[in-house]
Amino acid sequence: MSEHEKPSGEPVPVGRRGGKIDGLPKITGAARFTDDLTLPGMLHGAFLRSPHAHARILSIDVSAAAALPGVYAVLTGADLPTPYGVIPVAQDEHALAVGKVLFIGDEVAAVAAVDQETARRAAALIRVEYEPLEGVFTIEDALNPDKPLLHDERRRKGDTNVLRRVFQKYGDPEAGFAEADVILESSYDYPGSTHVPLETQVALAQPHPDGKLTLWSSTQIPHYLHRIVAKVLGMREQDVRVIKPDVGAGYGGKSDPFANELCAAALARKTGRPVKFILDREEVFYAHRGRHPTRMTLKMGVTKDGRITAADFKAWAAGGAYASYGVVTAYYFGVFLPLPYKLDHWQFESHRCYTNHPPCGPKRGHGAIQPRFALELHLDKLAHAIGMSPEALRLKNTVEPDTETSNGLRITSVALKECVDKVVAASGYLEKRGKLGPNRGIGLATSAYMCGALHPIVQSEMPQSAVQICADRSGRVSILSGTADIGQGSNHMLAAIVAGRLGIPETDCVVLESDTGLTPVDLGSYSSRVTFFAGNAAKMAAEQLYAVIRAAAAEKLGGDDVVMAGGKVFRASAPEKALEFADAVQLAEERHGTLGFVGHYKPPKIGSRFRRQSVGPSPAYSFTAQVAEVVVDPETGFVTVERIWAAHDCGKALNPTIVEGQIEGCVYMGVGEALGEEQSYTKTGLHRAPSILEYKIPTVFETPEITTIIVESNDKEGPYGAKEAGEGPQLSTVPAIANAIFDACGVWMNEAPFTPDRVLKAIERRDREARRAAAEEGA
Amino acid sequence: MPTEPDADLVLTLRVNGDRKRLLIPANRTLLNLLRQDLGLTGSKHGCDVGDCGACTVLMNGAPRLSCVTLAADAEGAELLTVEGVSVGGALHPLQAAFHEQVAAQCGYCTPGFIMALKALFDERPDPSDEELNEVLGANICRCTGYTKILAAARQARERMNGRSA
Amino acid sequence: MLPLPTFSVLSPRSVADAVGMLTDHPEARLIAGGTDLLPSMKYGLFSPPALIRLGGVAALQDITTTEEGGLRIGSGATLRAVGRDPRVQRLYPALAAATRTVATSTIQAMGTLGGNLMLDTRCAWYNQSSFWRGALGGCLKCHSGPEGAICHVAPKGKGCYAAHSADTAPGLLLYGAEVELVSSRGARQVAVSALYGEDGRDWIRRAPDELLTAVILPPPPPGAVVHRKLRARASIDYPLLLTAAAFDPEGGPRVVVSAVGPRPILLSGLAEAFRDGGVEAVAEAGYKQVSPLSTHV
Repeated sequence: MSEHEKPSGEPVPVGRRGGKIDGLPKITGAARFTDDLTLPGMLHGAFLRSPHAHARILSIDVSAAAALPGVYAVLTGADLPTPYGVIPVAQDEHALAVGKVLFIGDEVAAVAAVDQETARRAAALIRVEYEPLEGVFTIEDALNPDKPLLHDERRRKGDTNVLRRVFQKYGDPEAGFAEADVILESSYDYPGSTHVPLETQVALAQPHPDGKLTLWSSTQIPHYLHRIVAKVLGMREQDVRVIKPDVGAGYGGKSDPFANELCAAALARKTGRPVKFILDREEVFYAHRGRHPTRMTLKMGVTKDGRITAADFKAWAAGGAYASYGVVTAYYFGVFLPLPYKLDHWQFESHRCYTNHPPCGPKRGHGAIQPRFALELHLDKLAHAIGMSPEALRLKNTVEPDTETSNGLRITSVALKECVDKVVAASGYLEKRGKLGPNRGIGLATSAYMCGALHPIVQSEMPQSAVQICADRSGRVSILSGTADIGQGSNHMLAAIVAGRLGIPETDCVVLESDTGLTPVDLGSYSSRVTFFAGNAAKMAAEQLYAVIRAAAAEKLGGDDVVMAGGKVFRASAPEKALEFADAVQLAEERHGTLGFVGHYKPPKIGSRFRRQSVGPSPAYSFTAQVAEVVVDPETGFVTVERIWAAHDCGKALNPTIVEGQIEGCVYMGVGEALGEEQSYTKTGLHRAPSILEYKIPTVFETPEITTIIVESNDKEGPYGAKEAGEGPQLSTVPAIANAIFDACGVWMNEAPFTPDRVLKAIERRDREARRAAAEEGA
Repeated sequence: MPTEPDADLVLTLRVNGDRKRLLIPANRTLLNLLRQDLGLTGSKHGCDVGDCGACTVLMNGAPRLSCVTLAADAEGAELLTVEGVSVGGALHPLQAAFHEQVAAQCGYCTPGFIMALKALFDERPDPSDEELNEVLGANICRCTGYTKILAAARQARERMNGRSA
Repeated sequence: MLPLPTFSVLSPRSVADAVGMLTDHPEARLIAGGTDLLPSMKYGLFSPPALIRLGGVAALQDITTTEEGGLRIGSGATLRAVGRDPRVQRLYPALAAATRTVATSTIQAMGTLGGNLMLDTRCAWYNQSSFWRGALGGCLKCHSGPEGAICHVAPKGKGCYAAHSADTAPGLLLYGAEVELVSSRGARQVAVSALYGEDGRDWIRRAPDELLTAVILPPPPPGAVVHRKLRARASIDYPLLLTAAAFDPEGGPRVVVSAVGPRPILLSGLAEAFRDGGVEAVAEAGYKQVSPLSTHV
């Protein structure tokens, strides 16, 4: 156990390894996920989905479905006309299609019936007359003003299917390029991919006789879901209660309100009975909200001694049928481009487009994965061009602690150099690079990521996280929080902070989370915000409780040097006369009254030189360095990632086992995106791989041995020093693998995933070019 | 032997040691029998077509994907689900290791991994790493990169064989 | 949850019972491990009125030594049981190896040898849900929809190219194995090399009332037989390519490839190639005879 020094000098013990306070139910089968809940009289929902990628709905006839015995209600778009979207400026979704369908799988109608079989049979009886429209399937289509608009109401002369274009320029890029000794420009392609949480989306809605509604759902965003359910159903927010039971993970895939949630609620209100609405596995591939497939160009210049002088980056993302978080994506593409490097002269232009595909959204490392892939490959190319070691080039340009970047990001704690040093040493990168022999290679990449967004999605001056803690005379401490634990361990994180402050075992804390009827508002589990935001709120509440208990104990023990540790409360000068924690709580309760405290977190007002920079700034950033070792089979093109070393600056590991698990999960998801995961569609917009069989997520055999190295920079604003660990580590994985493939066989993989056919083609091209060069030399 | 097919079946089996007798439709899967008819929700729907392993249970000691098993196939069988692994309130060494290593993040795949590994340990008390991997390869975990799951399986193996871990 | 269509279940206890039920219910399907049949039914590929469960026919699970010194493996023996049988491991190592490359270890414990040989041909355009196939408009193999006359893999061709994907078939073919098919009309034996048809729709030469009861292996040939499977992931996945190769010092190399078309192919002209150019020439000769299409799921 390590100790973090508080400014006051009091040690707060955090950092115990091992089991989560809420871990046991998940290994005994006792955990209750939404699909494990049943209510008396519960009905089941099913969707009718669009078989067309783009079509106008001419008519819908639900009579046969409604007449089927066992069917209780049928809904169409006309029943839920209010548009919504998670981002206030992009309210372009409907629970069920209104007027048009925009992708194959778009929800058209919903049925509630006595069981799933009946609901599905009824949905199949609904007759829809469509007028097929020309589809928009590529970036070129989306930029073409002659193509139909997906969202007609946006039409103005010359409009295209670009949802958002962002252009930002810092310093003087032209002058920067003029300073460069070497300038390289390349194009990159990064695939769309999806989250595949093992639990599909599930919602269960219960109507109450007083007109109120309870909704249990597998969501990462109970608060936004609460607001949007009320809006779409035309209810008062105080009449809606959203509860998030155990969730079978999300990785960003459950950060939007979904049609099954809204339709479960609407069907429950319409029938007066509880309605459960489950997506099957195939439907989750249509619900999607995953990684944007992105085409990019990057031009960068360096001096001979390895200083990056300028960059010019362009990105076009085919984002699917709805906006989701796409406006934010367009900003993230550029805002996080340079970080973790110093870059004074640069510009970016990004386009987030609509296409007739399942909608993209936020997936682990949202908006930063694609530019990181391009930039980290580009750095290795530049290092190669100037004859410098890739690791030295990175270290030369690393951003320094307590500085501000050219685009106005306030940088506080940074331990990137330590991360690089540690992975380089652990992997033997310097000894191995260029020397592993044919078809085996090693590659390095680094990255940085946010710890929550400074500015909330819905603008307000209210706290973004809040925690309430109560201690009672039994010695039990309860923690109420609106955070959404989706497997990442945020419940344990809250307990570790509170227990650390109070000097009690974490297991003496009870965390009650994610019930908008009971718990204080928290904006949700996205943008790697929970540890920094909710953790700080928990710390604020815990410190108040600590002060009250400590004061009561000091009075009893007759001295100010009171310490709370090991479940006991005692004077440092007289540890033998210790109070049990529960006894100390009783003293405090006698003195103070019932013990309940709230804490909250609002990020500091960070003055930026750039007022427009409302998307991207964070109170702190995490940093990662990774090395990958790969083997390429030149006959088949198969790439095997044998090992990955990942060093991550998480500020302070509140539980190192959980932090390691987050890093390992990030690396794993990166390996999947590197080797074969791809949301790919036929030319008519039909998903090519909507199953776990076809969508190639890695099994244990494709997963490398992962060595994690935790680096602690002790952020001065993080809760007991902590920063995020759940997303940042994924950013380095794919480029490290790409750079290792170059080291193995001399081909730059500018297009991911690195499937056997792509690798073989690259090797063939390499050989052709070598033959041509040899021939020219001979001539 | 009647040759006219039955639309409904009477099924007699043992689940986690308890004898059960039920009337079920013939098209009931074993997973739905467990979850809907018996309220044992520990076994999960991950894909419903045998790709992910989250529904793995033991039938007469052998691992089975309950989502692609007919309940009718369980006639007379001895079934074990994740709810029956810890007996008398004591965690199975595999469960203890899963807890200590934080091998369950979201926990949705965990029952399937525990059951598949238990089948291996019941049969081969001291399996090799290769044998552990072969079992892990039958199940998908999307959170952990299998790293902590393999660590937990190894830890359980060492402890169950009286070696320190 | 994906519901199964409604059907009734028949539970024979003997081969005679099973054959009788099959005669009485010609539309029924046989189910053994269920790992292929039930997903296909959940996807609505077919909806038989009845399933005949073979799990209760204990006799189908036997593995016995034949008088000739070969093995007779009951069709109901699980892939795991076959792969672990010491006689199989000793005499037919390529078969043992093939059972261990099927899907996953759990599916090997459920699936049977008979079920593997009876695995329907597969295609990325066919093994999909009713919704998906409806949005596609159908294909040759599912005989329906406006696009029902088109093979999406080879739109200009006339046939269905769905891929034969049974891991155990290539090795069994090289071992000279036969299957026993029993119906109320009697029993017959068919060589594995003659079991499969040339079109993805008409892929099996078994009468609808016939039950595959056993695989009969003659004594193993001299020389080694090996099995190799190429797949996207080292678990779960169906083959991208299956090969079984035998080398007899007298007769030269024999190679079967599969998963590249509706049936396993015994490559030709390899002895000559080997004589002229060794193993490399065999590989080249084989490569020229195979033209994989993008059918793989």
